[in-house]
Amino acid sequence: MISRRALELATAVLTGSFGVAVVVSSLDNGIGWSSAGVESGTFPFLTGVIVVLGSLYNLARGALPGLTLASVPIAITPTELRRLAGLFVPAAIFVAAMPLIGIYLASAVYIFVVLAIPKHQSPMRSSMMAAATALGLYVVFERMFQVSLPHGALAAAFGF
Amino acid sequence: MRNMSIFLLSAAAIVLAGMTPAGAAWQPQKPIEFVATAGPGGGTDNLARAVQNIITKYKLTDQPIVVVNKGGGSGAEGYVYGKASAGDPHKVIFGTSNAWQQPLVSKVAFNYIDLTPIAAMAQDEFLLWVKQDSPYKTAGDYLKAAAANEFKMGGAQSKDTDEVLTRMIEKVGHVKLTYIPFKSGAEAAVQLAGGHIDSHVNNPSESLGQWRGGTQRPLCAFSPKRLPQGTKITATEGWSDVPTCVEQGLDIAQYEQPRTVWLPGKVTPEQAAFYVDLMKKVQATPEWKDYIEKTSQVDTFLTGDALDKFIKQDLEHLKQVASEQGWLIK
Amino acid sequence: MENLQELLHGFNIAITMPHLALMVIGVLLGILVGVLPGLGAPNGVSLLLPLTFGMQPVSAIILLSSMYWGALFGGSVTSILFNIPGEPSSVATTFDGYPMARDGRPTTALATAFGSAAFGALVGVILITFLASWVAEVALAFGPPEYFAVYFLAFASFVGMGGAAPIKTVVALGIGFAIAAIGIDTVSGSVRLTMGVDELVKGVNFVVAVMGLFGIGELLVAVEEEFHARAVSSKIDWREVFRAVGRLPRHSVALLRSAAIGCWMGITPGGPTAASFMSYGIARRFSRRGRYFGTGEVEGIISPETADHAAGTSALLPMLSLGIPGSATAAVMMGGLMIWGLNPGPMLFVDQKDFVWGLIASMYVGNIVAVVLVLLTVPVFAALMRIPFVVIAPLIVIICVVGAYSVSNSYLDVVMMMGFGIVGYLFKKLFYPLAPLVLAIVIGDKAEDAFRQSMLMSKGSLGIFFANRLVTCLVVAGIVLLLLPLALQLGRMLLRKPALPGDPTTSQEKVII
Repeated sequence: MISRRALELATAVLTGSFGVAVVVSSLDNGIGWSSAGVESGTFPFLTGVIVVLGSLYNLARGALPGLTLASVPIAITPTELRRLAGLFVPAAIFVAAMPLIGIYLASAVYIFVVLAIPKHQSPMRSSMMAAATALGLYVVFERMFQVSLPHGALAAAFGF
Repeated sequence: MRNMSIFLLSAAAIVLAGMTPAGAAWQPQKPIEFVATAGPGGGTDNLARAVQNIITKYKLTDQPIVVVNKGGGSGAEGYVYGKASAGDPHKVIFGTSNAWQQPLVSKVAFNYIDLTPIAAMAQDEFLLWVKQDSPYKTAGDYLKAAAANEFKMGGAQSKDTDEVLTRMIEKVGHVKLTYIPFKSGAEAAVQLAGGHIDSHVNNPSESLGQWRGGTQRPLCAFSPKRLPQGTKITATEGWSDVPTCVEQGLDIAQYEQPRTVWLPGKVTPEQAAFYVDLMKKVQATPEWKDYIEKTSQVDTFLTGDALDKFIKQDLEHLKQVASEQGWLIK
Repeated sequence: MENLQELLHGFNIAITMPHLALMVIGVLLGILVGVLPGLGAPNGVSLLLPLTFGMQPVSAIILLSSMYWGALFGGSVTSILFNIPGEPSSVATTFDGYPMARDGRPTTALATAFGSAAFGALVGVILITFLASWVAEVALAFGPPEYFAVYFLAFASFVGMGGAAPIKTVVALGIGFAIAAIGIDTVSGSVRLTMGVDELVKGVNFVVAVMGLFGIGELLVAVEEEFHARAVSSKIDWREVFRAVGRLPRHSVALLRSAAIGCWMGITPGGPTAASFMSYGIARRFSRRGRYFGTGEVEGIISPETADHAAGTSALLPMLSLGIPGSATAAVMMGGLMIWGLNPGPMLFVDQKDFVWGLIASMYVGNIVAVVLVLLTVPVFAALMRIPFVVIAPLIVIICVVGAYSVSNSYLDVVMMMGFGIVGYLFKKLFYPLAPLVLAIVIGDKAEDAFRQSMLMSKGSLGIFFANRLVTCLVVAGIVLLLLPLALQLGRMLLRKPALPGDPTTSQEKVII
């Protein structure tokens, strides 16, 4: 279980560190006024500072108990977490596998796995849908509009 | 299963092809990607699409050609992509002199030596433009007025060809200009028509329509001799009626922007030769002449050593301007 | 009246069998590329361009512009059905379109969107027809300070601080601005905020951010709630299509206001995206049902769609008369014009009367063809909502992956898109508003460029934003719109009128604005 408070804190830390990264890297570009007008780091620097300050505020607000958040103390229940993982983890694996086996094979396997393994569809129908997805992608993108999608390192090794 | 055998067959074919002696000229094996280092509609994009059309029309290669735009970061996106595709002879990068100019002044993750130069196919001219109803008749008038009050000069991008030329005018003409960078030359042209800036140094094609429409006019051309005779643009004048800047006392004899064609790095000489040959064939067509005339560019073809020499010279000159302006990256 | 005659002549050119056939082909192809993520009108245009060289220029431009209309309509479909806006200008359509579709009324949502879009487009064409020369003059009056003022106005009208968590809004806006700044900066030419990733020199594309924030983010929220689309009646209901269109005149105030905003933003440099956001923001503030916005309100669909299309249409005018393309598609078309030997610019209207008026007439006819065709497809698209969630979810993931990848053939974009998905989920869950974030990504860098160009011109004096009547009006209007909600809130606080705690819409409001 992840509490609302933990989630608030994590998000504030996330936005805050993005802000810090922006501030630090915009210092490289120079801030303030020069002969070439407003220097290129100025606006990113200011927005970075604002993001950091805002995140600190959100962090403090999230850390202090008993504020308005009290009405919804639980953010993600264990069941919800399981469902989230059930969607996101296969998707992430699909994306990770793409450079290796290419989008066509990856998407077919992905569709088959998420449909057949939790028994949402019969293996037969799952594999049909998987094949149809890959074929559809190929025909529309590669053939009709000549947009090249990643074929993967494996296909490249075979000379595609 | 069938797929698998196709895999194997083609794998075998590739291996065999690799083993054939270099006697047979190299031919592309899959669709060719033309990477335009500019957004759709820009000069570089138009060139890539014109070349694509000519090749397709005359069937100069069996493989289909796809144009993709990678104009992000003033073209850096396209060059970085070219660098990342090292060894892939099916990607052709279309750019300008910013291939060697950009790495000089900003921290981009490529340099022109990461790419294989194929050719410089056309040179775009530069002219000095003012608003139609401005009082200056010659470049001399313009410089005199510019000395009295600081003029606003517009141009495409920062620390790029337009700004380099602006700084050269400053130096030669002993004036101070405020350079305002816009996204493109077309945008600068509209800003001049609206009177928000005093002048710009657009290529002929970027301001052609505006000249015809009577919103702005060229004062002089940064060229050693007058531009070639063509059809009249306005009722009375054509490009050849525009005096050179030297004639008018602005002593910049030549300033041109080459349109360059590159392959990614690490391709074989045979592969590069194929594209040099292909571009030569393109240049011989009437459609190419037509394209050159419509865009008022100069038809040149530099390749091999001549191109290398040109790049080196241009680079020296740029280094000088950039170091005077303090643009060089540390 | 001379224009009217020219227009009639134009209709003679446009309404011929071959041209009508070209329109139908163009529109259908446009709908296809508009609906498919990762493909857009520019893909279709550059695909068709080589085919058109053998045609008369006027036939060619009719084909291309019909495809443009089709794509504009098609782009709203994924926004409404799956919360995935394929173009920046259809983001605002998701705010009410998606909730309505999820509520079991996809037919109504789609038909409303298409109907109001067609209305907006027609108003835009009428404007072009009768005020062409005036419009061109207005567009010329905009220099960098005026550009900045227009962007400022768009922000001000949308991002009122009336929402529940102002600091979260500020953080979201700031992050959006920072993302917009990534890549090469136009004004200085230097590389910014790439944080060591060389490929980021190209910047973060809007589509990548939005596919993640909206598409994947919404998917994660939906799976967590184990959401099932409310049963959509299984029989295809044609009557609802006509009913929804028939109900549009009841919202004539919203329609007219949005069309006016759209036309204004289209001829000034604001563009369709700023127009749709601004129109939504203003509608929310002035509509009687404003506080229900974000839950599937009809006017929440009408306002952005009408403004988007009015702006998209009137933006074609600057392309023809000034030679500045208002969008990527317009840019490709402009390239085409040049290849056909036509030079866009002020003289086009004089030299090429047949071409220009044939095109303008075809905008009328093409739009009508497009809306008829697209309304016919509504039940088909609505039926997509009946696919069970477990099947559609992986398909949406694939759609987002392909969409992000094909923006610039980059795997990094796909990874970033997934990252944005997590951010989108967290933000939604914790009531950080997404819309200001997206608006900042889309027009943040343009606003910054315009500001810094102005500063170069004025040598650092802010006085340039009050230098003439036009820019002063724009800036003052922006400030008023920005302060109005604050003043109202302050007044409410002084009167000690408690907010309604049990109001079910407040949490939704927090998410949207």
